[in-house]
Amino acid sequence: MQLFVFRELLGAIRAKSATFFTFSGFLLFLFLASVSSFFMIAPGSVSTSVEGQPIEEIRVFLSPRLSSATVDQWFLEWRERDDIVRLRFQFAQEFDASASGGVFIVSPADTVMGSALSSEFRSIDGVTEVIEVPREPTIEAPYISLTIRISLLVILVLSIAASLFCSRRGYRELLTAFSGEIRMLRLSGISERVVFTLVVALGVLIGLLGGLFLLAVLYLLHQIALAKPDAFSLFGGLTSGIRVLGMGLMGVMLGTLFGGLAGLLGASLLHRREFDPLP
Amino acid sequence: MIQVSELHFSTEDGVKVLEDIHLHVEQGELMLILGSAASGKSLLLGLLGAQIFPQRGQILVHGRNIARLGPDKMLTLRRRIGVYPQGFVPLPRTVHENVAFKLRALGNYREQAEEKVLYALETTGLIRQQGVDALELSSIDRIRLGIALALCHDPLLLLIDEPFEGLAEEEKAEIARLLCRMNTGHFSILVATRGPVPPGLEMFRRIRLVDGMVRGA
Repeated sequence: MQLFVFRELLGAIRAKSATFFTFSGFLLFLFLASVSSFFMIAPGSVSTSVEGQPIEEIRVFLSPRLSSATVDQWFLEWRERDDIVRLRFQFAQEFDASASGGVFIVSPADTVMGSALSSEFRSIDGVTEVIEVPREPTIEAPYISLTIRISLLVILVLSIAASLFCSRRGYRELLTAFSGEIRMLRLSGISERVVFTLVVALGVLIGLLGGLFLLAVLYLLHQIALAKPDAFSLFGGLTSGIRVLGMGLMGVMLGTLFGGLAGLLGASLLHRREFDPLP
Repeated sequence: MIQVSELHFSTEDGVKVLEDIHLHVEQGELMLILGSAASGKSLLLGLLGAQIFPQRGQILVHGRNIARLGPDKMLTLRRRIGVYPQGFVPLPRTVHENVAFKLRALGNYREQAEEKVLYALETTGLIRQQGVDALELSSIDRIRLGIALALCHDPLLLLIDEPFEGLAEEEKAEIARLLCRMNTGHFSILVATRGPVPPGLEMFRRIRLVDGMVRGA
């Protein structure tokens, strides 16, 4: 019975209501696309390789045979150098229990030029080992200008508001075209819940279609991103299949949710006088 | 059988529309409710058809007290009552589709609905016009269609509100003959009308509503 009435309800969609519903679905898709774009923005380039990384500090292991006077002298000399920002002395045992002697912990002024400094230390007689400690690889936040962020948020809010507005207008047109049937259903003793549920179901259907369309578009972009990784440098998340699938499913859920909300807005029109079965 | 006792109804402003109505209609009886405009006829039919919830008094329709029915049972009862509303406007479909829509919506299968549609259209004399757009029907055929819609689902009670409105004398007599034909004893028929009793219906029992009160025939 419900299926029959739902089919009839869909059959009552005319050009005007279809236009509003199409706009509503498109705007909902735009909303979902804006949401997913936030999750698809790639993090900045992350290098996991230690090689080529800027040097954070240089550990200069000193021979235990060096006299304390020499060590003191080197300390004072190196501390004055412009290419060294900070200099500390530690005992080698602090790094290795079996080691002996001392260690200078050098923080180079220019992390990129740190290797030149290391070479210089290696050539000094009395230095047993030089270890370069590279800077920890950091994940840089992607660069999105404030304008883009605000624009996305504005699109987000406007698209959902416009979508709900369009769906309500669409419902008004549809329910006006279907008002005779609604009056007849009420007069015949069909439960109020039946009509209400079907009107909400139509909204859910539109939302679901919007979400599924997003899923299809994301999959397409994912395939393009895999084939040409440079095509979407900002939206690097498109290369991750799991992220695309997760976002797509989230889009379907959000679409269904907002579609249901639009359906509820439409169903609220059913309380109007024109749907009363008796004059 | 319908039993109404001590039925009162007032508007939100406190204006009394129906006052101390007592009524008894036998199973299979055809009864006329006469009264001028705004005398409370349509409201009384709405109350008997379980479309409007009674405020005070009792309405027993086939042993069920409408005032004590829950929403679901009210709907079940409503499905056993056929209503022809005043100023009936058909759906913008063919005559056949109008009746079929109601029957399919009530859960009838296609074949089952088809059978009932043909029966209802044959009873009301619309069988030859089943393919005609209902909005293009003449006034009398629209009324016939409304009555076909009211009786198509085998109701226990038929409530017909102003079926002679806008008709010529000959057409009124024709509708009266239709009502007589339908009065087979299977269901009770209540006809509300403001005009004089059309020829052919004089022999049936009638009550007159004046300012919401029953004043006898």
